[in-house]
Amino acid sequence: MNFAIETVDLNVYYGKNHVIKDVNLQIPEKGIFALMGPSGCGKSTMLRTFNRILELKEDTRVEGEVRLFGKNVYSPEVDPIEVRRQVGMVFQYPNPFPHMTIYENVAIGLKLNGLVKSKEDLDERVEWALKKAALWDEVKDRLNDYPRNLSGGQKQRLVIARALAMKPKILLMDEPTANIDPVGTAKIEELLLELKEDYTIVLVTHLPAQAARASDYVGFLYLGELIEAGPTRKVFESPEHELTEKYITGALG
Amino acid sequence: MFRFNPNRKAVEKGFLFTIGLLTVVAVLPLFYILYTVTLKGLPVILKRGTIFFTGTFSEGGIGPAIAGTFLLTFLSSLIGVPLALMVGMYSYENPRSVLGRWTKALLEIMMEFPTILVGIFVMAVLVIPMGTYSAMAGAFALVIILLPYVAVYTHEAMRGIPFTYKEAGYALGLTRIKVLFRILAPMAKRGVLTGVLIGIAKAAGETAPLLFTAGGLYESYPTSITKPVGTIPLLIYQLIQSPSPQDHATAWGASLVLMVIFIAVFIPLRMSLKEVKL
Repeated sequence: MNFAIETVDLNVYYGKNHVIKDVNLQIPEKGIFALMGPSGCGKSTMLRTFNRILELKEDTRVEGEVRLFGKNVYSPEVDPIEVRRQVGMVFQYPNPFPHMTIYENVAIGLKLNGLVKSKEDLDERVEWALKKAALWDEVKDRLNDYPRNLSGGQKQRLVIARALAMKPKILLMDEPTANIDPVGTAKIEELLLELKEDYTIVLVTHLPAQAARASDYVGFLYLGELIEAGPTRKVFESPEHELTEKYITGALG
Repeated sequence: MFRFNPNRKAVEKGFLFTIGLLTVVAVLPLFYILYTVTLKGLPVILKRGTIFFTGTFSEGGIGPAIAGTFLLTFLSSLIGVPLALMVGMYSYENPRSVLGRWTKALLEIMMEFPTILVGIFVMAVLVIPMGTYSAMAGAFALVIILLPYVAVYTHEAMRGIPFTYKEAGYALGLTRIKVLFRILAPMAKRGVLTGVLIGIAKAAGETAPLLFTAGGLYESYPTSITKPVGTIPLLIYQLIQSPSPQDHATAWGASLVLMVIFIAVFIPLRMSLKEVKL
């Protein structure tokens, strides 16, 4: 079987700290894969190896392979910039660029990467991305406003639109609802269920309940080690590992 | 148990009053300067009329000095600001590299460096080889004055941007240059422009680095950057040493002009800069 993302003996170090330990993980194409675990166990770090954004941080070292659709993104001839263009990312803190309008926020990736030919193409793609992110109806009359007046949930959907505009195949989400109110969270989760038809979504969460609600597959990461992974139903109904059971029943972390 | 201190509130009030008083004392000189310069300068300008702004020194005006100040400020900003922006960006992007660390430390030393030494340095490398004072030498000295301010402010403004925006830029597949100049720099524009303004204001108001570099030119307007040029602060410095009350009057007028230029550039620009709200 061909996987969207596959890690082979993945190890990550922050200086001398060994934070990801020999992880072999397969993430199938399409659908939502939840990467769950308590805070500080390496979920965000691992997510950032998938688009090689981890190297922005000082003193990090990655060993092993991360394969996107079979190709190792850490092999020397790969340009990380090319990888990142094909992988969208959404962050824990809703971070639309505050000095750009709603329209510009969605357009910026396309514009700076020179991916559109004309203003009409750009308009069309911005509208498409905002619709896809279920935000169009709420912002279509104020595309030239700045995002500061949007709610947290709207900001986060704007960030999703910014990522979708690049037409990625994979969407990485680092606790996208951690700073969002419950209503906004429900909307985002609903959106994810629509998006999973077309995209491979990796959802990092520290809430087992969110993983159970939203995901098709789940991986449980604990202190840098992958304890267990598989279809969500199976993992939640009959976990193979005692730690997993403790975690999903709330006895851990 | 709790001990009751009947003086607690009185002590608090006394403390606040003292701090308030000291604050007033600290900013008092500023208002005193504004007051005195206006009081002594305004009558001179009113008496001499527009000739004060356009005439040469023997006509009773400071036209060449005003032109010289603008010329030197323009030249030094033209060279110094882009250079300083690059230096600031570099030390922000490479904070842990040897060059990056040294740059930051050296810039901070340069900021506090006695400006007269800058003048002596430029005299040694430009004025003596060329055999003449010149606008070029003056501008070069001012570049050295303004560069550290602009660079350090740029560095600090960039450092104030939360890391998540940098990640967001890179996650869109943008190159380092584009993330830096198209995403992060516009976010830091208020801080960067504040630095640019402070740098320019410093350059416009400096005297010491120009003493041995610009020379002075008050009887005709500057025509070439390889010839001497005068500036308002330099003129004030020279006039104050003269015994003639006439010269003192001109110096007061020139002081007012310098102050107004400073305020006119600084305040509106600072107020019009919108802060990027995160």
